[in-house]
Amino acid sequence: MSHSLHRRGSCESLKDDFVLLVTPSVGINNKGSADALWKILDIVQEVGPDNLGSYETGTIFTGATVEEIRTAMGDTPRVRCCFDSREKMFEVIKRIKELDAGLSVVISGLNEDVLEMAKDLDLRPHSVNYSLGIHGRTEKLPPEEVLEFITMCGHGMISRNLVKENIEAVRAGRKKIHDAAVAIAQPCVCGIFNVDRAEKLLKKFCPQQNEAD
Amino acid sequence: MLVHEELCVGCGLCVKYCPVGAISIVDRKAVIDQDKCLECGTCGRKRVVKCPRGALYENPGVYTYPRSIRKFFSDPMAYHPETKVPGRGTEEVKTNDVTGRVKRGEYGIAIEMGRPSVGASYVDVEKMTMALAKFNIEYEAKNPVKSLFLDEAKGTLKEEAKQQRVISGIIEFTIPAEELDDVLATVMETAKTIDTVFSLDLICRFDDEHPYEMPKVPELAKFGLEPRPNSKINLGMGRPLVEE
Repeated sequence: MSHSLHRRGSCESLKDDFVLLVTPSVGINNKGSADALWKILDIVQEVGPDNLGSYETGTIFTGATVEEIRTAMGDTPRVRCCFDSREKMFEVIKRIKELDAGLSVVISGLNEDVLEMAKDLDLRPHSVNYSLGIHGRTEKLPPEEVLEFITMCGHGMISRNLVKENIEAVRAGRKKIHDAAVAIAQPCVCGIFNVDRAEKLLKKFCPQQNEAD
Repeated sequence: MLVHEELCVGCGLCVKYCPVGAISIVDRKAVIDQDKCLECGTCGRKRVVKCPRGALYENPGVYTYPRSIRKFFSDPMAYHPETKVPGRGTEEVKTNDVTGRVKRGEYGIAIEMGRPSVGASYVDVEKMTMALAKFNIEYEAKNPVKSLFLDEAKGTLKEEAKQQRVISGIIEFTIPAEELDDVLATVMETAKTIDTVFSLDLICRFDDEHPYEMPKVPELAKFGLEPRPNSKINLGMGRPLVEE
């Protein structure tokens, strides 16, 4: 599924939000791909992801270690993670290109930024999955300020009540911004929820708390 | 999901985690509404909810059809036995550079029923697939929705599937570019008849002559649709590369 698509928010709030998906294709190049995936995991770890996880283990924000993620890789191994800066994302793609593993690489992010990185690295983008918005009974949706958090987990694991409770706790000064961001991130099992972005989104509810709190 | 009543102390910690509000506290015990529960597994994840007594557990019957429909379309940690892809989706654009699912002159469409945050009944999924039946669509073979059709040509789904609700069910197919206008008209018209939401995806190839420009899809404007400024871009690093 297109789980990293449909992230809501303004360009400003999405500018430091990149999801990396490295996916061997079942029946084409998944056999024997674990070794390359491990090397890519090493690259990701060295550069420093905002979040990282796997369907088998959950994420680093729920206690999964990189070693655990590596060990749990099966016949269809995948790398899912996100980055909170363009520079880091660029460095990872550059090093994956140098590795030349032949695995499909998809970046979710602002189109302008991703295309610029591709051009700088002399990569030719192959295809795009566009988000054309939400339709139907949209009155059933939570407010946009809640959707900005929820849509960072495309599998729909983050409940609107969890987001609202944490926003309220931050607003009332009962919870630190970082702790609230991590609490909201934890139900996302694959590691594409950007905690740094969540902190920035939470700051607007409590401007007196700074990022060091 | 189920609750060990003898273990539950009614602290209510789990309630806020349920994406569909299926958990409530009754007489100081957590109660999970089995009609509402989509079997996503979140409340039972010990590293996430941290129930102090470990009172939440997976229903042993959850992998038995048709309850399993909820599981496979709601829990990303559950690998679908046929697609070998976790959860409800496919590889879509993620591996399009090596699968060539969506070629030049084609569009890939995904209608993600229930997403975000609302969930969907397969009654609503069927409304959409029946409306699309006139296009003689070949649905994506590796998408688990395909296995739920009663009659694909008519767009009808199996009765037991229609009794299930899920976090999301993805209607996924590829069409020739010339059909986009009519297909979008049908999708947007059907949107008025369903009792849930859907997120709409469109996959297309980059233009070889303008590799660093986002592909233009002029048909979208007629329906008030505009691609968001953020999307998923396949960088073309997979091998063997499909060029067509």
